[in-house]
Amino acid sequence: MLTLRRGEQLRARLNAACRRYLSVKAEPKAVTVADAEYTAEPEYPVIRDLSYKSRKLQTAAEWHEQIRQLPTVEEKMIKVNMPRYYGYKVVDLNDTKIPYNALPLTQHYTRTVLEELPTPQAKTEDKKDDLDATVKMARDDIIEALEYAHDVYKHQLQLMATPPDAVKREQQLTQIIVELVNRSALQVLSADYGHLNEVEIDYNPRHEAFWAVGGVDPPKNVVKSKEGRPWQKDDAHDSCDRLVQYTGQPYLALRHRHQLPTWKSPEESENLTLAQQLPRFKIDARTLGYSTKYQHAVNVPGYWPSANAPNFGMLSFQSRAHLQLRPKSCGERDDLEALHALAIQSSYAWLLAQANYHGFNTYNELTYPWNTQTVITNGREWSFYEYQLNTLLVHGAYVDTNPRVNFCRGTAPQPLYAEISTEGKCVDFNDNTLRQLLELYIRAPSIRRTADELLPYMGGPALRRAADYENAEQREFLEHTFKHLASKRPRHLELPEVYMWEKIYKIDNKTRALEARRRFFERDINPWRRTLDQHDKVYVPKAERPGGRKNREGRFKKTYYP
Amino acid sequence: MSTRWYPIYQRGNPQLRVFLPNFWMKLVRPTEEQPANVVTFAVSTEMTKYDVKNYLEKIYKLPVVDVRTRIALGETKRDQTYGYVTKKDDVKYAYVTMPKTEAFTFPDIFVNKAEKQEKEEKSLDESKAGFRRFLDRNKKRPGTPGWYSI
Repeated sequence: MLTLRRGEQLRARLNAACRRYLSVKAEPKAVTVADAEYTAEPEYPVIRDLSYKSRKLQTAAEWHEQIRQLPTVEEKMIKVNMPRYYGYKVVDLNDTKIPYNALPLTQHYTRTVLEELPTPQAKTEDKKDDLDATVKMARDDIIEALEYAHDVYKHQLQLMATPPDAVKREQQLTQIIVELVNRSALQVLSADYGHLNEVEIDYNPRHEAFWAVGGVDPPKNVVKSKEGRPWQKDDAHDSCDRLVQYTGQPYLALRHRHQLPTWKSPEESENLTLAQQLPRFKIDARTLGYSTKYQHAVNVPGYWPSANAPNFGMLSFQSRAHLQLRPKSCGERDDLEALHALAIQSSYAWLLAQANYHGFNTYNELTYPWNTQTVITNGREWSFYEYQLNTLLVHGAYVDTNPRVNFCRGTAPQPLYAEISTEGKCVDFNDNTLRQLLELYIRAPSIRRTADELLPYMGGPALRRAADYENAEQREFLEHTFKHLASKRPRHLELPEVYMWEKIYKIDNKTRALEARRRFFERDINPWRRTLDQHDKVYVPKAERPGGRKNREGRFKKTYYP
Repeated sequence: MSTRWYPIYQRGNPQLRVFLPNFWMKLVRPTEEQPANVVTFAVSTEMTKYDVKNYLEKIYKLPVVDVRTRIALGETKRDQTYGYVTKKDDVKYAYVTMPKTEAFTFPDIFVNKAEKQEKEEKSLDESKAGFRRFLDRNKKRPGTPGWYSI
């Protein structure tokens, strides 16, 4: 194989030399239509690097380009999933588990610069503005909502036969509080701030996102396998990509038709030195306590792709109930960092999923920035974050070379009230926290873009979603496949299992030499390598067959995999 | 560690008895690279995360943030003569996370190994050379005992 490549290289070099020689010898002639192929200046094809590594990179780049060229959201997502029938092995990031010291990993995986803001102080008398009047107006409503929520939940708890655990209790109470607070805030503010009349509210939406991260050390088996091949030996310790899937369920999310204004200019967002200063977590994420699982790449921002939906996230309320389960020995500082990590992960994932519905994904870079706001709360403590997504390219070499970075800024948690007294009254209500919460609502999504600017990688005005296809069969196929991937339902054909006796007597110790080798591990078949389209096609019964009962062409339904 | 198993309670026996439990922990070198503040132990399979944490905190006064454990399947081995398969015991591994300010590097117990080996080889070479000298000397008188010379 080596000699063949060497031969190819030599031939390419010889061709180039011949061409150069011929073009030098040729007399310069007037260019006519007939010999338009001759130019005064010789134009040589690009000499491609034919080494194994660069050919691999070339194939990957071509695949990314193919994904970019696809016209619809659904097809792009299916294309990303094509290589695996049973799903990718992904690092499982979620909002229920933030292990100790997770912030460096989060910053590396999301390419995010974190700015910790100081807790804003209460305003003095002379600096009052019109928001104070609004806070004053909202104050009583919010206090009433808090007292009512606690009262309701106390009553609900009494009705339950077995009281739920602390995490569930916090989730249930906070859900009531957040819904009531959100309703009061919208009621108070919507008269003065028109954009709040147009927001879409998602209750407990699914926020999921998939992306690839580069710059992670290769696992041992990869190193070992590469070291066994002469043409990969030198690259055995090169960093490799890790696939990441975030799964979260906020209490509440608000969406709007327009985008939030950015708070970092494009010049500030492109800073290679800043990008290189970001923490790098090269070791396997499992050493921190994260787990891995197999699943399809899924991007869901809380709704299905649709043309005129409020597509841009404005505000999400995340749960911190599971942080109760962290060991007390983590310390206060790390608990704060866990909140930051949760905010970064959830904001990044939500924005990535939204961007995915606009044709961008982890392999196709954004053409304009995205912003969102995130609140993490347990009803009493509230922390506020803003996030600006500038880049999605974290995979492969981009982790070193991409000058763009994402930004997150936020505060430490602040109490909205001290406690609810035994009489059910709210004690020590904090106007300052309420003010910050209302500020998030007030920030109007003001950025409007033309459709061409918004959707540069889509098929044009007539073709952006699978629903736009004329061919009904294709439309249904894409819709069905896309939703099936997103449903995370197990595959119809389950993964073949290796039984323990087989591991002991067939794989680890070859004690059954005379038995026929029929199982997949004896026939060198890796079930994980099965691709998405490797399945039997759907049979069309004779009665329903297009072209009559005897038409053998239409026996099986067509597939439209991208 | 006690070598006794905890006796099963029988009616009439005294109830409040404390034996030393069969707990042991062995510091092992991690097979994969880990953060500096994570230490790997092979522990008795009967120990829980809380046992590991208490063991390190109470006996060795180590700051422990978190403990994660897993049980690794013991290796199986085929008998070379008779072909039957034997299995080693399962081992529980505990990954102990210390505060991020701490760093642990696995001690290199065999720092002087190369040096020692060199010394051993040197003495071996010397004795080999001595034997060769002896053979050379007695080339012309085979069968002569070693002491039969000046």
